[in-house]
Amino acid sequence: MTIEKRPNATADKNAPTQAPRVPAVERDRGPKLPGPPGVPGTERFRLLAYVKQESMVRVDKRPDETVLTWPHLLRAEFLMALLISVLLVVASVFIHAPLEEMANAGVTPHVAKAPWYFLGLQELLSYFNATVGGVLLPTLYLVGLAVIPYIDRSPYKAARDRKTAWVFFMSLMLGGLLITLIGSFFRGPGWNWVWPWDGIYFTL
Amino acid sequence: MTHLPTYGEVPGAPVGEMSRRSFMRRIFWVGAGILSIEFLAGTLNFLWPNVRSGLGGKFTIGTAADIASTQPTWTQGQPFGFSKARVFFINVPASEALVGGSNETVADPGANVLALYRKCPHLGCNIPPLCDKSHWFECLCHGSKYNIIGEKRAGPAPRGMDRFAVTVTDGVYGIDTSAIVAGPPIGTATFDPRDTTTIPHCAA
Amino acid sequence: MTFPGPGDLMRVVRESSVWRSLFRQPYPTTSRTRALAVMNNVFLHLHPVRVKKHAVRYTYTFCLGGVSFFLFLVLTVTGVYLMFFYVPSVTRAYQDILSIENSVAFGTFVRNMHRWGAHLMVLTVFLHMIRVFYHGAYKPPREFNWVIGVVLLFCTLWLSFTGYLLPWDQIAFWAITVGTQMATYAPLLSRESSFILLGGVEVGQGTLIRFYVMHVIAFPLIVAILLVVHFWRIRKDGGVSGPV
Ligand code: HEM
Ligand code: FES
Repeated sequence: MTIEKRPNATADKNAPTQAPRVPAVERDRGPKLPGPPGVPGTERFRLLAYVKQESMVRVDKRPDETVLTWPHLLRAEFLMALLISVLLVVASVFIHAPLEEMANAGVTPHVAKAPWYFLGLQELLSYFNATVGGVLLPTLYLVGLAVIPYIDRSPYKAARDRKTAWVFFMSLMLGGLLITLIGSFFRGPGWNWVWPWDGIYFTL
Repeated sequence: MTHLPTYGEVPGAPVGEMSRRSFMRRIFWVGAGILSIEFLAGTLNFLWPNVRSGLGGKFTIGTAADIASTQPTWTQGQPFGFSKARVFFINVPASEALVGGSNETVADPGANVLALYRKCPHLGCNIPPLCDKSHWFECLCHGSKYNIIGEKRAGPAPRGMDRFAVTVTDGVYGIDTSAIVAGPPIGTATFDPRDTTTIPHCAA
Repeated sequence: MTFPGPGDLMRVVRESSVWRSLFRQPYPTTSRTRALAVMNNVFLHLHPVRVKKHAVRYTYTFCLGGVSFFLFLVLTVTGVYLMFFYVPSVTRAYQDILSIENSVAFGTFVRNMHRWGAHLMVLTVFLHMIRVFYHGAYKPPREFNWVIGVVLLFCTLWLSFTGYLLPWDQIAFWAITVGTQMATYAPLLSRESSFILLGGVEVGQGTLIRFYVMHVIAFPLIVAILLVVHFWRIRKDGGVSGPV
């Protein structure tokens, strides 16, 4: 992977007339090695400045499992950014952000809900006493997430080797999803149960 | 033979004492710690709200006669909604008569009044006017219910309705909203302990 | 006689000292120049020159961290646009949103984009966290990057929440009233914490300006700093984890 072909000689056509700026990395690079005899422009070199390599002659050369960032990673990132941009633009053209009447502290709308990512929390509040549901459980949730790496010390990484951790984590996530969905789509005026087909009380 | 320059022997800390270097280091970190604590305290102090107007200030309502002239039913026990301070101003003896069914009128309750804050202690919805069916305050958001003097009767609220201090000078009522007085704890029933299941309600 | 074409013009530009002071090598078409491009460019050198093959596959990361970052950038740009027309005052805020919608060119579009981008970012950050968990990518040496991630998750939620109040309509006002009232249930200092958060006893002008400052400067800055550390540590921890 570290031995690269030199840029094709024809690329030098655009070579600037004045002395080129030479990046430090080029000045530091190792001596050129001759290419096949009689073929100009095929000398090889080592990029000593930034590539680690044990020896020039590798006995046991493993298959190369890396790719160049330019173009492979950058292409992937670009395409993903493109996809998201298109999605956002289309959504923004066709779906309007909600806006109701001006705020009025004297009139509570008959459904007062927090933003959707807090509706699970609001749902919890209707099960537990407020200190537990509103403060202790969410704090425990965040702190619990943060300390996962210090509790789960098993060295295995594949999901099949860490079923307990995965089941535990996913039940937290899916539990959160469930109560968020309930809070979003199954709760109406007075936080009473309302089936979605009887009315949806949800704003984004 | 060349000699490397020497700087003398570096003395270790005398037994049982701290070296000058670690002393200085400790002073530095302790100083940095104290400074950060001061900085934090100063920031909190800086951010402490300095409420001068709006809710948080003092309001003058007027005399009992002034109230009765804007809302005659106040002398028959109906709460007077004073929107500037977001309170229900309760004529306590008349209200007790209203709930008790004796329908006495009380033109001037003197100091026997309450300024109940309309923000529900549960999740802060605006509490609507007295429910005629039950003569209770019933929050429509999650169905917390309070009797006419703001004691909690039902629902998820953690305490009775909060209130503000009322001043009476020469018969003129004033409300100081700078400090919220927490409502009475759950279970307080100095008046009207009717069971929630036996009476009709406005909120579910 | 031949006329100079666009190719010649490009050549003149490419050979100018201005161009060469900007780009220190020809357009990267070879492995060597591509490596140099990534290494010498301040933005690209967020990445290593080479990455593990599996890390480039969409099905490994689903690009969720990258998408979250991209959305953060989109939100910064659209947010700055909105700031030109928005005054955080209880008497003006709502009118300003109306005028953004009705009389600013592309105003509705920018507002929508900011709104949907914000919701999407909350979603992608959650999904990113689940993906990281699935690959056990929080295991040594990446433990602390996970912790930074959790703080980023909190900051993302907080940015979204503070922004929710700004339109000053009924949805905003009551959602924030209900949301902040939860803070008053803290076992200690509940009254004080809600007072300092709201800048008063209830949601009002004090709250609006506080949330505005947190939303447009304090938390974006905190997130930016945390992201620098997050990305730095990914590289120092040996790049994206795996393959598992
Ligand atoms: C503002 C939100 C966040 C942004 C913009 C962000 C960005 C990124 C990016 C671009 C990567 C590279 C790999 C990938 O795309 O998956 C990454 C990796 C990582 N992130 Fe995040 N992240 C965020 C939040 C989080 C959260 C909430 C967590 C976990 C609680 C987290 C933990 C990690 C870890 C441990 C890695 C290394 C993963 C690996 O090596 O496979 N990050 N992050
Ligand atoms: S806010 Fe009144 S019952 Fe919940």
